[in-house]
Amino acid sequence: MNKTKRIENTFDVVRILIAILLAYLIALIILALISDDPWNVISLFIIGPFNSKKHVGDIFTLMIPLVFTGLCMCFVYAINKFNLAGEGAVNLGGCLAACVAIALRDTAVPGWIAIILCIIVGALAGMLSTAIPAIADQVFHADVCVISLMLNYILLYFTTYILKNVIKDQGASVTASYKLGRKVKLANLIPGTQIHIGLLIALACVVFVAILFYKMPFGYKMRAVGVNPSFARYIGIPVGSTIILSQVIGGAFAGMGGSVQILGMFPRYKWESLTGYGFDGLMIAVLARKNPVLVPLSAFLIAYIRTGASLVATKTQIPPEFVSIIQGIIIVLVAAEMFLSGWKKRLIFSAAKKSLKEKEAKA
Amino acid sequence: MEALKMENITKIYPNGFVANKGITFSVQEGEIHALVGENGAGKTTLMKVLFGMEQPQEGRIYVGGKQVKITSPLDAIAKGVGMVHQHFMLVPSMTVAQNVTLGIEPRKHGLVDNEACVKMTQQLSDKYQFGLDATATVSELSVGLMQKVEILKALARGAKVLILDEPTAVLTPQETKELFEQLKLLKKSGHSVIFISHKLEEVMELCDNVTILRHGYCNGSYPISELDERKLSRLMVGRDVILKIEKPDPKPGKPVLEVKNLEKLSDEGKVVLDHISFTIREGEVLGIAGVEGNGQNYLSDCISGMQKYDGGDVLLNGKSISGRKISDIRRSGMSHIPEDRMTVGCVSTMSIMDNVMADRFDRPENMKGIFLDQQKAIAQTDALIKEFEISCDDRSEEIRLLSGGNIQKVVVAREFTSGANFVLANQPTRGVDVGTAEMIRKYLVRQVREKQIASLLISADLNEVLEVSDRLLVIRQGKIVAAFSKASMVSEDELGEYMLGIKTMTPDEMEGLL
Repeated sequence: MNKTKRIENTFDVVRILIAILLAYLIALIILALISDDPWNVISLFIIGPFNSKKHVGDIFTLMIPLVFTGLCMCFVYAINKFNLAGEGAVNLGGCLAACVAIALRDTAVPGWIAIILCIIVGALAGMLSTAIPAIADQVFHADVCVISLMLNYILLYFTTYILKNVIKDQGASVTASYKLGRKVKLANLIPGTQIHIGLLIALACVVFVAILFYKMPFGYKMRAVGVNPSFARYIGIPVGSTIILSQVIGGAFAGMGGSVQILGMFPRYKWESLTGYGFDGLMIAVLARKNPVLVPLSAFLIAYIRTGASLVATKTQIPPEFVSIIQGIIIVLVAAEMFLSGWKKRLIFSAAKKSLKEKEAKA
Repeated sequence: MEALKMENITKIYPNGFVANKGITFSVQEGEIHALVGENGAGKTTLMKVLFGMEQPQEGRIYVGGKQVKITSPLDAIAKGVGMVHQHFMLVPSMTVAQNVTLGIEPRKHGLVDNEACVKMTQQLSDKYQFGLDATATVSELSVGLMQKVEILKALARGAKVLILDEPTAVLTPQETKELFEQLKLLKKSGHSVIFISHKLEEVMELCDNVTILRHGYCNGSYPISELDERKLSRLMVGRDVILKIEKPDPKPGKPVLEVKNLEKLSDEGKVVLDHISFTIREGEVLGIAGVEGNGQNYLSDCISGMQKYDGGDVLLNGKSISGRKISDIRRSGMSHIPEDRMTVGCVSTMSIMDNVMADRFDRPENMKGIFLDQQKAIAQTDALIKEFEISCDDRSEEIRLLSGGNIQKVVVAREFTSGANFVLANQPTRGVDVGTAEMIRKYLVRQVREKQIASLLISADLNEVLEVSDRLLVIRQGKIVAAFSKASMVSEDELGEYMLGIKTMTPDEMEGLL
């Protein structure tokens, strides 16, 4: 491999590791400052997620929706359009899947067909969510970021309206839908944990997206359009439709994520606020450097941090918000291309100088 | 006295490309110093370093005998170094005076003193006999006058050393003459000028000393009096520039590309292509020569389908390309080497393989069902790397890590093997090293002759159009002003006269040659 490329690759990995370490270090300092019993809190935060089967299970269950939204954001990120409607897509996907589940609950439709229908409806809902800003951006040049952020609230209030007016169970003590029914509950994968087959669906999606990205013409078109649209146009790739289509396909995964989460984790639908999974998805895509293969890994990392944080929050006085600090630092450091770039440049310069000297010595 | 000295400058770009290696040169007060070298020799980088736009990894800069560190263009200006860029940095909607005094406006009661601005600008213009009207709007000026506004801008900011980056590329011969007179006037008043050019006769006429760059190294500084054009060109390229390509006589077949009364307006509504007509047949290269910016890029964009045209028509293999998608035009026989290889011709962050396969990855023969056939892509890429002698580590190397010449080879390799019967080559060898340029030219000629394809060669390099083309047209201000049936019979001088508008052919004279 080329020397410069090798330095850059090694450097990327090192930089992410340093970013994570630095974030942890800062988190630890904060913990040490605000806690009476810092060592207990720190060990709970770092080792806690691994100290029981249930906790490890929590990491994996939390990972499931994050993988879906991470995949969604890989598409968005790959074509350089910051369509954040994946956030609202989770709600809409979950809500409409719940509607389908409730409608089919007392029918003769077998469970597995009902599940597939729910997930398909979820995916379609997701596609619709991301299609709106994508088309507005491409056709009317309305900024995709602004439109999608606004749309998230429209989707949230739309789903809340459905929850309160269409599927609300008047008999329930809190605002919640009718029961979704046993038959659409995603089967448990590992007893003693909450891990459900949604994990397998998520991983299957990762494989599919990886193939789409790297082995199929559409993935090629998408990557080319993302890095250099003028080249894509010149070489004959339909730029506009590729940009819209990849956002729409991405939306499908966010919507699926919403429906899988509802079917796998909850007996009733009761989301009345944004879940945050969509925004986490962007963070995961950034950490994964828009490579779908790395999405499960970065989703795992985020899920691990989250699990540790909620352990800390339930067992001590530390508020869970401090985890946002860690995430913030990681993302800032990973996304900041210039972070440690001086060091990288120096490495490349000295390598270039060395090979120059070798060349001159030969000549 | 020494006005400026750059000592042992080494500049390495973040992609590892070494643009300048230990370059040393100095400019005296009241001297016009030429900086010459081929495209890609490192002239622009060196001047970017001097003007504070790039930071060198090694080396020192002295201005007026004092060592300085120039951190930004603002800093350079403060230290008395001014630069006139090839592409003007002016605000077209403002007046000359406003442009010249922008950011350094004289104030009265804290407000801009317009009268003083105009007065100051006018005085400066008169002092150096620039003949500018300080109250004129810049957008209404000719290119030559705009350039003077640029120079004035630098002078108004107290520049003692003036960098001119290929100032004559956009000028007519008369304007060039005028510019030279004024530069000599500046020299008399103690200013130093760094004159970047690759027009040797201009360097010989205007400059006192010359520094030659080659492949990023300094190839010596000489007083002009010790050199002649021949010696200078040898120092620049290391051999005689005269290029000869052996080629059999063309056997033109049926028409491949027909351009009929093509008209194009720019976004600003200016006529940029004015009723252009010509036909290119199988087995021939039609060259279009012209000073840059006379409509070549519009022509290239209209023919390739990148831009819509406003009148007339372009027929490729008998079918109009109007309203068709680029993929469709390409499929019906177009291949296109674009002028700007980095932003249009390639994806710099993707691999050589991805770049080579860009136009054919989804053709049925390169697919295995719904998947890309990796093995076929690898085989094709490796074959092209070998055939075009692309020097790289392997097919997976990202394009941006290659040298300019090798990047162009990737573009050329893709476009020549796309199976098209028409090749639109817009400045195919610009900024490419001599060896690669020669290879590309020879390949073009061989393909046209052996495979009986047609080619349109647009180039500002006279040597190139004369040698490679069979027939030759000259474009000026969006019009075809001359046509020659045999490019090899035309002399550079004659061509130059048509390019610069000294002579123009009448439609009758060109009859039958288009």
